[in-house]
Amino acid sequence: MSRSVAIAKAVIGQPVTLVSATIVAVVSILAFAVPYLGLVDPEAMNALPSQPPGAAYWMGTDNFGRDILARIIWGARVALIVAIGSSALSTILGIVVGSVSGYYGGWVDSVLGRVFDIFLLIPTFFLVLLIVNLFGSNLGLTMFAIAITTWPRSARIMRAQVLSLKSRTYVQASLAAGASSWQALVSHVIPNGIAPLITDGAILMGLAILTEAGLSFLGLGDQNSVSWGRMIYEGQAYLRSAPWISIFPGVSLLILVSALNLLGDALNRALNPQIRARQRVARRRPPINASPEPAPVADDVILRVDDLVLTYYVGGREVRAVDGLSFALRRGESLGIVGESGCGKSSLGSALLQILPPNAVLSAGRIRIDGRDVVVDGRAVVERGQPRFQALRWTRVAIIFQSAMNALNPVFTVGDQLVRAYRLHRPKDGREKARQRATEVFEMIGIAPNRLGAYPHQLSGGMRQRAMIALSLMLEPKLLVADEPTTALDVLIQDQILGEIDALRQRLNLTLILISHDMGAVAETCERIAVMYAGKIVELASTAAIFERPSHPYTRALIAASPTLTKPRTALAVISGEAFHAGDVQSGCRFAPRCPMSQDICREKSPELLPVAGNQFAACHFASAVVEQPAGEMA
Amino acid sequence: MTHSSGADPCAVSLPVICQSRLNEKKFGQSMRLQKYILLRTIQVVLVVFVVIALNFVLIHLAPGDIGSILAGETADPEYLATVRSSYGLDRPLGEQLLRYFGRILTGDLGQSYRSHAPVLDVILPRIPATLLLVGTSLVISVAVGTLIGSLIAQKPGSWLDTTVSTLSVALFSIPVFWLGLMLILVFAVMNRWLPSSGMTTPGGVREGWPAVLDVARHLVLPAISLSAIWIGQYIRIAKTAVSEALSENYITTARAIGFPERDIVLRDALSNALLPIVTVFGLQLGLVLTGAVLTETVFSWPGLGRLIYEAILTRDTPVIIGAFILMSLTVGIASLATDLLYAVLDPRIAL
Repeated sequence: MSRSVAIAKAVIGQPVTLVSATIVAVVSILAFAVPYLGLVDPEAMNALPSQPPGAAYWMGTDNFGRDILARIIWGARVALIVAIGSSALSTILGIVVGSVSGYYGGWVDSVLGRVFDIFLLIPTFFLVLLIVNLFGSNLGLTMFAIAITTWPRSARIMRAQVLSLKSRTYVQASLAAGASSWQALVSHVIPNGIAPLITDGAILMGLAILTEAGLSFLGLGDQNSVSWGRMIYEGQAYLRSAPWISIFPGVSLLILVSALNLLGDALNRALNPQIRARQRVARRRPPINASPEPAPVADDVILRVDDLVLTYYVGGREVRAVDGLSFALRRGESLGIVGESGCGKSSLGSALLQILPPNAVLSAGRIRIDGRDVVVDGRAVVERGQPRFQALRWTRVAIIFQSAMNALNPVFTVGDQLVRAYRLHRPKDGREKARQRATEVFEMIGIAPNRLGAYPHQLSGGMRQRAMIALSLMLEPKLLVADEPTTALDVLIQDQILGEIDALRQRLNLTLILISHDMGAVAETCERIAVMYAGKIVELASTAAIFERPSHPYTRALIAASPTLTKPRTALAVISGEAFHAGDVQSGCRFAPRCPMSQDICREKSPELLPVAGNQFAACHFASAVVEQPAGEMA
Repeated sequence: MTHSSGADPCAVSLPVICQSRLNEKKFGQSMRLQKYILLRTIQVVLVVFVVIALNFVLIHLAPGDIGSILAGETADPEYLATVRSSYGLDRPLGEQLLRYFGRILTGDLGQSYRSHAPVLDVILPRIPATLLLVGTSLVISVAVGTLIGSLIAQKPGSWLDTTVSTLSVALFSIPVFWLGLMLILVFAVMNRWLPSSGMTTPGGVREGWPAVLDVARHLVLPAISLSAIWIGQYIRIAKTAVSEALSENYITTARAIGFPERDIVLRDALSNALLPIVTVFGLQLGLVLTGAVLTETVFSWPGLGRLIYEAILTRDTPVIIGAFILMSLTVGIASLATDLLYAVLDPRIAL
């Protein structure tokens, strides 16, 4: 049901689609009603030949003195008969062959698959030409000829549908309940799989109309019916003296076929939510001009984030992935940001680097780097026409992504990508110097420089991650954000890479933000840890404090849930309840529903991030009680 | 698939049909490339065999005497007898089919009954003109379409995107022959700017730069008609492919590094989007040739398409069959060539 609602919405929601649907509807009505409209006989030659469009004949008359308007309307009937006839034939044939192919699989499928492939390679228009040439031209044959060249298209779609549906549980269930394969196919698979075929039908109809027009234009059309193609064929000789004879049928073809294609397109979009999702774009907030500010003080703080809010626009809803987050980072410090997936930690990383996806905006907050504002009130600070952050990219602030996720461009060599980054920011340095730097960085990170010529896929997972780190170091940044740099690597490599990042940090005096879901990884590398839950920092403290006396129940739960190599093996704890879904509206503490210690106040009042002891901060009403409990135990 | 001006299956529903092609390509990566190319070559050979067999079946199913289909209705009895014996029309069907294959594989496509010349000799001289027209149009449409498609991929859902996408649908919904007529009307009839037919000016210069210029002037209108439709297609394909590439993580990396958006689209995204574009290119060649037949007919361009049109008018069946076989072979080889190009473009596929 929701699907048909989606389709209806897609049709009505967009003006272009609405117009297309209307055109198709009007032409269909005209086509079926034409015998009862009392129009002039399209073959009647009762006017003066080749009259231009005027009051009596809106579209003029042709070289035989026939009314072009009447012929156009009759032509719509032919166009639709051809369209419906051939696409119905093609679809039925496609459904039968496609379902057989998809349902039986095995050799049946592979043989039929080859047949589809071969048909896709045959220049089918010539086949139709030959058929019509050999068998004479009439509408029925034309439709048949078109259908036998388009059916593999429908069959492929049907096959794909059957393959994906056949594994669905309800089909499996009905098979298990004793339904025969064919029963299952007919009662479940076909009705459910038919939607994309119907969508494609609109496009097939457009194809058929144009094919018929093409045939008619070559003189192979049905001699007894008024088709738009044949009108153009007959009119071309009078192009100089009476161009309207060929103009109007062409315009009609263009309008009807465009409408069918646009409609098919819209239906396709409605059925494929991925395509739709990409369409949504958040409105960019205007940049803000730099206001005069005191010269940067050479203080110790490299990064300061205040009340940062990052909002995603998902399906008309606003979701705050980062919700009022603040922290500061001293030069050379390392901060780990941990939390479950979806807690907003990676969104924070993309906010810091100003690389938000199209459907996200910073809706509030301030980011200062080296004592200078780069974001104020969620808006990028612009200085002399350029975002201030642009000048800091890669030269001051760089990011390490998880390379397993295609963070490096697969079609360029690693060396090329390093050199390109270098030359973007130091264009005067020349290619040679960039090469040198790439070699240097590769050596620093422990990869043989001859691997610079390798493509990302030619490197092992660990090597590829190192190459990503090398890329981030090309321009000697001071602040490095590492976003899940070791996820998807095996444990030994993870350790090596984390060790290297740590060593580099100390050697190059880098400030590091390590974003990870892995408490262990963060503990090894970072001096301080910020625990995030549902877009907020719930606890911020030194690594020692976090592990020795966690003051937030969620931190405790996270620690209990991570495996340890140094302590006796115990069963890992599981955090009960479902993770908070960003976008859930809820008052009070967001962890409350899963918290073993929650009280009434937790559900009513949202706790603030407050000092617990010294430099330890927690957002929990009972932080001072939690901190007293022995580590590793939950109330 | 058949289509006068070419609404391509992939352009309109890339997610369905071409995706399956693309998945095959991905599968091809794990498989040895040589093996893949070998399989594809076998496939092309199969296509040609199927086409020949189809021809055979159609000739036999067609109403009327096979001898006179092949020799022409007005053929003199002597020639008819030669055709009958050389095709073995009095032999059993199986033997006829074998003979038919044998003849075609040795390059004997029969005789045109209009000129009585061997079909191959009638067809071959027409190929360069078609190649010139199709080649020019393809270059224009791929270049222009890809560029426009990439640029609008940056702003999905914007009014520019909606407008250009709608216009591109309209572009490939135009019957190519009608577009040709309209171009003639505007540029050759109403304004005498460009020639409307043929490839050279009758009695004009035949050598040197003036001759090249003359052909170029004749080429303008047919090339615009044929490429206009394909520009529409490539806008759509490029838009889909580039916007898909733009959602990849390496694009985020490039943005983080600070590359200007134009570089990111035209270098990082497009270099990856070229792969699906090439795939579609290979699949569409048959349709481009279809468009070429119609375009050549409108502009009296002396290529294969025009030849086919003339053959239809005179019911010269051997020429139509010969052209069909040759076109199939061309499309097959071209699709093979695109596969090789694919391997060159994608470093993940090792040759």
